[in-house]
Order: sequence, then C-alpha cells, then structure tokens
Amino acid sequence: MKEQVIRFEINGEKAEVYADPTLSLLHLLRSRFNLIGTKEGCRKGECGTCTVLLDGQAVNSCLVPAGKVEGKKVLTIEGVTREGALKGKRVHPLQQSFVEKGAVQCGFCTPGMVMSAYALLRDNPSPSPEQVREAISGNLCRCSGYKQIEEAVLEAAKTMQEKQG
Amino acid sequence: MPVTKKTGVNSETGIPGPAYNQGPDVWDKVTGKAVYGIDLQLPGMLYGKVLRSPHSHARVIRIDTAGAFAVPGVRAVLTASAIKNKPYGIVVEDEQPLAGDRVRYIGDEVAAVAAVDEESAGKALEAIKVDYEPLPAVYDPAEALGEDAVQLHEQYSGNIAWERDLERGDPEQAFKEADLVVENSFSIPSVHPTYLEPIACVASSDYMDNLTIHTALQSPDVVREIISAALELPLSKVRIIGPVMGGGFGGRVYGNLKLYLLSSLLSLQTGAPVKMQLSREEEFSVGRPMIAAQIKMRMALRKDGTFLAREADIITDNGAYSAQAPWVSKTLSERNDALYRIPHIRTRARLAYTNKVPTAQYRAYGNQAANFASESLIDQAAEKLQIDPLQLRLKNCTRAGDVTGHGLQIKSCALAECLEEAATRIGWHNRKKNRGYGISAGIHASGSLVLNQDFRGASARAVLELDGKVTVFTGEQDYGQGTYGAFSHIAAMVLGLDARQVRIYCRDTLVTPHSQGALANRQTTIGGRAVQLAAEDLKKLIEEAASEMAGQPVKMQEGRLETASNRDLKLEEVARYYHYRTSGLTLNGEGRYVPPPSAYDETGYGNISVTYSFAAHAAEVEVDRNTGALTVHRIAAVHDSGRIVNPHAARGQVFGGMTQGLGFCCYEGYLFDKGRVANASLADYRVPTAMDVPGMEYSFVETEDPEGPFGAKGLGEVVQVPVPGAIANAVADAAGSRVTELPLTAERIYRAISGGECER
Repeated sequence: MKEQVIRFEINGEKAEVYADPTLSLLHLLRSRFNLIGTKEGCRKGECGTCTVLLDGQAVNSCLVPAGKVEGKKVLTIEGVTREGALKGKRVHPLQQSFVEKGAVQCGFCTPGMVMSAYALLRDNPSPSPEQVREAISGNLCRCSGYKQIEEAVLEAAKTMQEKQG
Repeated sequence: MPVTKKTGVNSETGIPGPAYNQGPDVWDKVTGKAVYGIDLQLPGMLYGKVLRSPHSHARVIRIDTAGAFAVPGVRAVLTASAIKNKPYGIVVEDEQPLAGDRVRYIGDEVAAVAAVDEESAGKALEAIKVDYEPLPAVYDPAEALGEDAVQLHEQYSGNIAWERDLERGDPEQAFKEADLVVENSFSIPSVHPTYLEPIACVASSDYMDNLTIHTALQSPDVVREIISAALELPLSKVRIIGPVMGGGFGGRVYGNLKLYLLSSLLSLQTGAPVKMQLSREEEFSVGRPMIAAQIKMRMALRKDGTFLAREADIITDNGAYSAQAPWVSKTLSERNDALYRIPHIRTRARLAYTNKVPTAQYRAYGNQAANFASESLIDQAAEKLQIDPLQLRLKNCTRAGDVTGHGLQIKSCALAECLEEAATRIGWHNRKKNRGYGISAGIHASGSLVLNQDFRGASARAVLELDGKVTVFTGEQDYGQGTYGAFSHIAAMVLGLDARQVRIYCRDTLVTPHSQGALANRQTTIGGRAVQLAAEDLKKLIEEAASEMAGQPVKMQEGRLETASNRDLKLEEVARYYHYRTSGLTLNGEGRYVPPPSAYDETGYGNISVTYSFAAHAAEVEVDRNTGALTVHRIAAVHDSGRIVNPHAARGQVFGGMTQGLGFCCYEGYLFDKGRVANASLADYRVPTAMDVPGMEYSFVETEDPEGPFGAKGLGEVVQVPVPGAIANAVADAAGSRVTELPLTAERIYRAISGGECER
C-alpha cells in the first residue's frame, strides 16, 4: 500500500515515520527504528516473542498493522530498560529478577516475556502464581519450563511493591 | 553497559550466583541488546530466498530463470546446473545444495535468488518457471522397505539409508527358557526441536573467496569442514562466527546446511553479504525434525522378575535426506538396553527413505523415543508377574562397575538410588485415590567418543591478560545451558580466583580452539576437562614467570602469588613482566583432554563415551475416564549427573528438559497429509505453554565420576529421556489400559479405555 505518515509515541518519545500502514508494527520497530529487542519468532502471533505494549496492553506486534498505532503509545523492551535507568538502576526490577531467578537461558523469549509481565504488574501489582502463568501463556519458552520465569515475575512484583510502600 | 558486579558468590560453596552462571551475555539478553542471527545486518547486504518443490516426488524437466533475472534488484539466480552442486552429507552423502533433475519432497530446494530486498527476492521466485513430471511417491517407512516400493536414491537400494542387525549373547535360547515373554508395538512421530529463533545466517565473501558465515551453531567447526568440502573452498578460507543462539536442543548441531551453502554460493557469486532465514513454516516443513520410529519389542523374563533378553525390530523414518538420522537411529535402537542388566539382546533397525521432510536430530537423540517403548514394556511385565514396577527395576538396574550388554563401561552410577528417591518423592508408597503413578529410568552418554574417534577430546586455552584477569578461549557453545558459567567456575577453582575474573571467548572458528561442539552431552564432561587442564597449565606458567621475576621460587595459592620470602606479587605485574620480556606475548596455558580410546568393534560393541549420566523420573497423573483428558499433576526427577558444577544452570536444564519431555509425550508430533506437513505452525504443532507445566521437583544423587572435571557428568539431554516412560506408565496405571502411540492425546487415551485401539 501507499506510504503514509504515522505519528505515535515510542518509549516516551514522539515518532513520525512514512510507512506502508499495512506493514506490521514489528517490522516498523525492527527495520525503521532499529529496536531489535522485539524479536520475530513466527510472524503469526503464535509465539509471543514480539510482544510490546500498545497503550498499556500487551500485544503481538507482528499482528498490529503499522497504521493502527497512529496517536498511540508503544513501549518496547528498550523502553523498559530505560525506565529502570531513569530511576537510577541498571535495569528495570523485572529484568533484574529475571536474571537473578535464572529465567534467562537462550534469551530469545525474554524480551516478550518481560513485556507480558510488565503489562500484568501494571494492572495487577500482586498477582498469584496462576495469574502470572496465565499472563505469560501466550509467550512460548523452550528452555526454562516457565518455572523460573514465574518466580522472577513474582519476585519483581514483591520488589516493586516494597518500593512503593 | 550493565555489569555483573552486584551478584555475589555463595560463601558456603564458593559458587558464583545465578547472574554469572547464566553466561556473560545474560544482561544483553534481558535488555533486548543481544544480537541473534535474525538481527544481523551487514553493509550492502542482499536477501536470499529459495524456490521449493511443490511435489513429493518429481522429475525436473526444465527450469526457466529468465523472468527472475528481469526483476529489478535481483543480483543472482542459482540452479543446479549453474553451480558445482557437489554431494554432501553428515553420515551418507545423499544431498546437494540444489536439487538437480529430481525432487524428493515438498520443499526440496530447486533454485535460489539474491536481491536487494526481500520483496524483490520474492518476486524473482515467482518469475521462475519449472516444469515437473510427477513421480509416484512413498510416505510410509515400512512400505518404503517393501520390494516394489518407489526408490528415492539409486545408491541406497531398497530405500535403506542405514541398517543394523546385531545380537549379544544368545537371545533365541533365552526366549525359549523364559517364564514370561511380553511384547508390544509402539509408534513415535517426528518431532521438531522448536527452538524459538528460526535459523538465520549471513554469508559474506571477498574477491579472494574468503568466506565468513555468521550463524549460530552447536558444532561450527564441523559445519565449517562440511562447507569447505562441499564448496571446494580451502578450509582456511572458511570462517564461522556465531551470534547469540535462540535455542538449539540438537537442532543447531549442524543446523540447516542447505541454507548455509546457498547463502555462501549466492555471496560468492555476488560478492555481497547475503542473508537467508527460515520462516516458522519452513522450520517445520523443510527444517530438520527428528526421525519418527516404529518399535516392535519383546522381553523375556524369569518368574522372579530377572530380565533375560530383549528383542527389538525398529523402523525409523528418514524422510528424503539423511543428515544425522543414522546416528540417531543407532542411539534410539541401543541406548536403553544399558539401563538394566540384560544379557541377551537382538536388535534389528532400519532407517527408511520416504518422500517427506528430511530429518536430523533433537535433544536426547531418540533415546527418549525408545525409552517410551522399553519402559512401557517393563510395566507390562511387572503387571503380569505381579511385581511392583519399582522393585522390578531395582532388581535389574545397572550399577557402578557393570559392563553393559553393548559394552558400555559404567564407572559411576546411582540409578538404584535415583529410582528409590523418585518413587519416594512422588508418593509411590502412599498413593492418592483416582491418580495414576508411573516410574521410568534413563541413561545418556556423557561425552561421546565415537563422533570422531581420532578427535574425541577437547582443547582450550587460558590466557593471563595484562590486567591480571583470565580469558578462556573455547570452541564449545553456550546458548543458555550454563556451559560458560561452568567453565569460568572450573578455571577459577584451579587458579584460586573468583569466577567473575575469568572471561570466556567463543564462537569464532578463526580464533577459538576447534571442537566437536555442543552435542552428546560433551560440553561439561570433555570441554570442561580441557578448561581445567588449560587453567592448570596457566598456573604452572604463571608460577614459572613469577619465580623468574622474583629471582626466587613462587607458588600460586588461592589466587595469590607468594615468594619464599613472603612477598606478594600481583598477577598483573607478572603478566606485564612476561609481556615485556617476550616483546608482546602473553602467558598462554593450553589444555588438551584426550579421553582413552574406545574399543568399539565392528558390531558396535564397546565403550562409546567418557561416562554416563543416569536419572529416574516418577509421574502422578489423572485421567478423565469419560473423555480421556489427561492431567499431569507432578513429575519428580532424580538425577545422577556426577558432581553438580553449576547448580543454578542445572536447575534450568532440569525444568526445561522435563517440560520438553512433557511436550514430546503429550502434545508434539508431526502430522502428514501424504507428503505435506499438515501442522507446520506453532498453533498446530503444540509445544507446552506456561499453563501446561505440571508440578516439577528434582534432586541430585551426586556420584564422584572418575572421568569428568571435578567428578561432573552431563545433564542437558538425559533429563528428557525418562519423561515419556514415566507419564505413559502413570497413564496406564490410571486408565487401566495402555496407549502405545505418542503423543498421548485425550483421543488415544479414550480409545484405550474403551478398548477401541490398544490392548494392555
């Protein structure tokens, strides 16, 4: 389709890009903004490695047409890292607990997992283990058996709660 | 750049915390900065795509590429006649970079193009016209072995890619004398390793035909040799550099050779870097799943439960081309025999060509497929003899000091303890109502010696940097299993340093020591031993240089260099002293571990591995008798992997391997519509999600293995082996009848319960 201007916010910054609006948001992020932390595992919305937040909701960016992000806010793994840095930490508490709980192995699912967990904790700051499993059930991981990821999300929730309190 | 400083060392064990053990790139991974194959971009890069056969079997009459050349942006179009197209293979040379006059499966590579972007490459493919003459095809491996079957490869008559017929002892007599003979037939489908990152590579070349392939491999040095030979390029001109690997599980041992060869050919032709990548659908339909197996098995026992003999007739489905399928078939057909004392064995195994997706390997190398059959059969015998399945296994299981039926030398083995502990953990003696319980044992070679008997060990270099830190150069591969964390720890233990002072340099065939790669559970056992020896060598060199510098004897203890007169020297001082004295060299420790040769005879009898890991898993399940729906409640895994060097990473291996075992047993498996893969997507080929994972617990019985570094043995593969047997036996216990076909779907369980398909 013909390129058109798309204006949106990405990781807290204003962005303006001329692009085919039928291209996927995933393609836009990786090819036009060099945000390679959002991974491409299937291009069909089946693996969850391309998960980003669109106006606070976790979505598979491979299924979102670029034109649909007009006027919206997109948050990627790079934005989550920056959020941690802005608070004087090396990384976001979720990322810290993913490392400490052994939830990162090959790492290919990790950015998408962190994004799904981020969306969960935003709506539900103290989830149950079942709620964590449900929140990451669209994100496949082949290395871990999910156990360490579940532990990492619960641990991060605790840390983030303590900081608030 | 985040650093790992914050993570401490466990003061009791001296083992660094999890952040370190997950490898040096864990912070890059968690922040999205890690560069994987799919992320690679080089200046001037072209995109390669492949035209594939739509036929299961056909003669190629004519290929017209004129239209493709006319597409703007197209830089190269290759067909079989335009290249040397030399045959290559891993075990048998049955493949060529592009199909010549014949295609043998839906997906066979017919032409390859390179263009300035993916879109142009796609248009070029559409513009290539191919005339085919369809031929009859064969899809069932047993049918393919029949007399009148369609033949796939002239040089492998009868469609047999590999076969084996062996006898140990006198099985015929043993079956005659037996009090009980049990038998059954089992069917296990092809499975895909389903690493989350599809295979991608960028090949680049210069005017002198120096070729560099950027791709993540478990065995880059072996792939480099295959590519050099297939392209007739001198070995010194071929280099492989590895980006971060998005999962391997055996599927990236040799990866997708076809993709590497085609991107290399396109790059050599155009002089530009060429990127090629498999889509997820291609991963399933033209990637390399593990062979499917049909196993007919019989066992002979005495009344008291003593195992006398085992006989197996196995047909494995090779698909159109072979890769490592012969080796996988061999492990599949033999390894489980080593779990128990079975004096008389007869095995017939045939690997059959069919017009389907070519195969390769997966974590556990088929061992888990056969385990489903052999452990199911043991439970059948236990029921007939009215002996507790745990007691029957304990009575017959292999123990330390045994030489098994196929000649494996078992130097350390805690299988009996693993069985007892797994049973206790699952509540074997205190069962809940309406639940089924099953137990299964597993063995896996740890540090195979027979991949290449001349090159059976490993080497490593340990270098003292000028700042007093140590860099270990290794050809082994870490993609999240914790190998590099273990290596840092091993070198640190030898040198008396903190593991965080030991850096690992890897993934570059030009610089790193060459290796057989990450397979056959050899990383820690063999690779780790080489690191240990390199560190010991470096320690000796440091002491020599320090003694020379101080003019008196210096000993290195707990990381400190102390002279006879109690003066402390700093490591960086010694490093700098040696550096200046030699005008630029660094202290360079070398370690080579060459395990004793294998006495492997022509019948395959002999000790094939440095050592062996053992495990026992027990499962607790529930079956809905009205629908056949299966709930796996818990799995308890108890492992003998020698001394556990990296407990954090070991935990990841155990949980991950158990979950893959669950997928293998309950969900996964190729479905075919004639030659077409009918479930070539992650929606249709279901792998376990976070919602499917049962309660998992584990423990280790730590033996001191005389061969592994600090007594360590492999873990990554054996952990998947007992899962299918344990779950299948628990399902049979709950359902009252046995399913003999994987995966254990609700439909199959329901049919078994209602007497429709399978008898116990």
